[in-house]
Amino acid sequence: MTELSVSTTAAGHVPQVPLPEAPPKVTVRNLNFYYGEHHALKNINLTLGTNRVTAFIGPSGCGKSTLLRIFNRMYDLYPGQRAVGQLMLDQTNILDPRLDLNLLRARVGMVFQKPTPFPMTIYENIAFGIRLYEKISKSEMDDRVEKALRGGALWNEVKDKLNASGLSLSGGQQQRLCIARTVAVRPEVILFDEPCSALDPISTAKVEELIQELSEDYTIAIVTHNMQQAARVSDKTAFMYLGELIEFDDTNKIFTSPSDRRTQDYITGRFG
Amino acid sequence: MAVQSDTSNVIDALGPYDRAKALSAFKAGDLTFYWITRISAISVLVILGGIIISLIIGAWPAMREYGFAFLWTQRWAPSADPPVLGALGPVYGTLITSFIAMLIAIPVGLGIAVFLTELCPQLLRRPIGIAIELLAGIPSIIYGMWGFFVLGPFLANTFQPFMIRIFDGVPVLDAVFAGPPSYLSLFNAALILAIMVLPFITAISVDVFKTVPPVLKEAAYGMGCTTWEVVRNVVIPYTRVGVIGGVMLALGRALGETMAVTFIIGNSFRISSSIFAPGTTISAAIASEFAESDGLHQSGLILLGLLLFVLTFFVLAGARLMLLRLEKKAGK
Repeated sequence: MTELSVSTTAAGHVPQVPLPEAPPKVTVRNLNFYYGEHHALKNINLTLGTNRVTAFIGPSGCGKSTLLRIFNRMYDLYPGQRAVGQLMLDQTNILDPRLDLNLLRARVGMVFQKPTPFPMTIYENIAFGIRLYEKISKSEMDDRVEKALRGGALWNEVKDKLNASGLSLSGGQQQRLCIARTVAVRPEVILFDEPCSALDPISTAKVEELIQELSEDYTIAIVTHNMQQAARVSDKTAFMYLGELIEFDDTNKIFTSPSDRRTQDYITGRFG
Repeated sequence: MAVQSDTSNVIDALGPYDRAKALSAFKAGDLTFYWITRISAISVLVILGGIIISLIIGAWPAMREYGFAFLWTQRWAPSADPPVLGALGPVYGTLITSFIAMLIAIPVGLGIAVFLTELCPQLLRRPIGIAIELLAGIPSIIYGMWGFFVLGPFLANTFQPFMIRIFDGVPVLDAVFAGPPSYLSLFNAALILAIMVLPFITAISVDVFKTVPPVLKEAAYGMGCTTWEVVRNVVIPYTRVGVIGGVMLALGRALGETMAVTFIIGNSFRISSSIFAPGTTISAAIASEFAESDGLHQSGLILLGLLLFVLTFFVLAGARLMLLRLEKKAGK
């Protein structure tokens, strides 16, 4: 708990005062997405600011997770799903069919709704991702694993049992292990797909702290069903409804004076 | 709780009702059920024990006559007086054919399973899956005939000369492939065994591969893993218990397979360094000699059967041990 309160101030993130506009890291232009015949995303336009947290909210089935899964081309795993439009990560066209997907996914990490530790030890869970891209010595690897686990705010809890199975951790710890694993690969963008929906309130608070700390070094996109969470962690919020981007603005503005009626209805709990 | 509310409804409808009587009827039913399941379970132990005991009784004369020397005697001369019997040839043949069969069937079987679950276009999935299942349905005698008429000639006339040419002069390996061409050989039997056990490994692996949560695979792909890395580091570790179970089932079948092997192995008790030489396995030896055996010869064959039993037991125990060690390594 001490760790938690210290990091609150260290993060220095005060949502009440909007941060200045950041240079765009990911740019989405006229993006459409199809599940077979079903038109799931309609003409999406937005940017993710560098080292900013962008939250995606909206009722179930509005396409926010779908949008997130385009950022790392996860949809490519499944036949019949396709994206049309423009999606740039810096100067790279993410939708380019010739793009090296492994490289893209090294630059754009993802944390899932349910914790997904791999069936191996805690140490290996972290080292595994690093080994995919780098050949480093055992001692360097030890350093990197420790750093990643510290980055995931997990080191103090697991330093004495690095050789225990990743599956032996609690749900919240598993989720932070997955975050540490994602960070270890040194991505530029991290996607969170409802990262706290399977966690208890204390674990949720820890993960939220972590997200704020990570935003100092990474560009973050987070999909959440929890509007308080979006308000707490994000700089910008996008409200989506039925596959359309209804409103995209500073989080403060969205939650205090939204310009669209539907956004207002959703955040005041009239539907969704 | 459900029972209580039911009876109270009954009371409302029919007036006073003897609750104790109803409960004792339930109890009797429960007790019957308990005993039926218990007897079913115990019968397995009784049958297993009965088989072991009758094998030991049948093998006793041979055990007393040959003792432990039976294990390392190569000579098999049942018509000598007194008969000289040794198990080394069949035991060697059983182990080597099963070993080669698994060496081929495990990678190929897992490869098919990975292809079917991870890579295969939807269109091809069913035809290949059905073909694998049909492979399991072919009677073993058909495999034997095919090995005898098709695979044997091919191995003897084409494959063996090729291997001899490649490994000519390489120490050890040239002896492994040496010898006159023969349609009947250990290698022929091993190949047939590999084809026969392939469906077991593939079918079970496909089933357990399907149990890997998609989100776990997505997480690995999400880190930039290639399909090969996902399979090696996530899918197979996640399913290792099931995969090893499938491999063990296959190994059990390979060790005990009789008909096809008897057909094509040549039934020679002499151990040769070449895998293209004829040999025999425990089950093939029993199948080909049991009908015309008597006395000590028959007892020796039963002792061979007992040996196969013990061998299979040790293989399964070894597999369990391997699983435990794998689990320790994965940090359980």
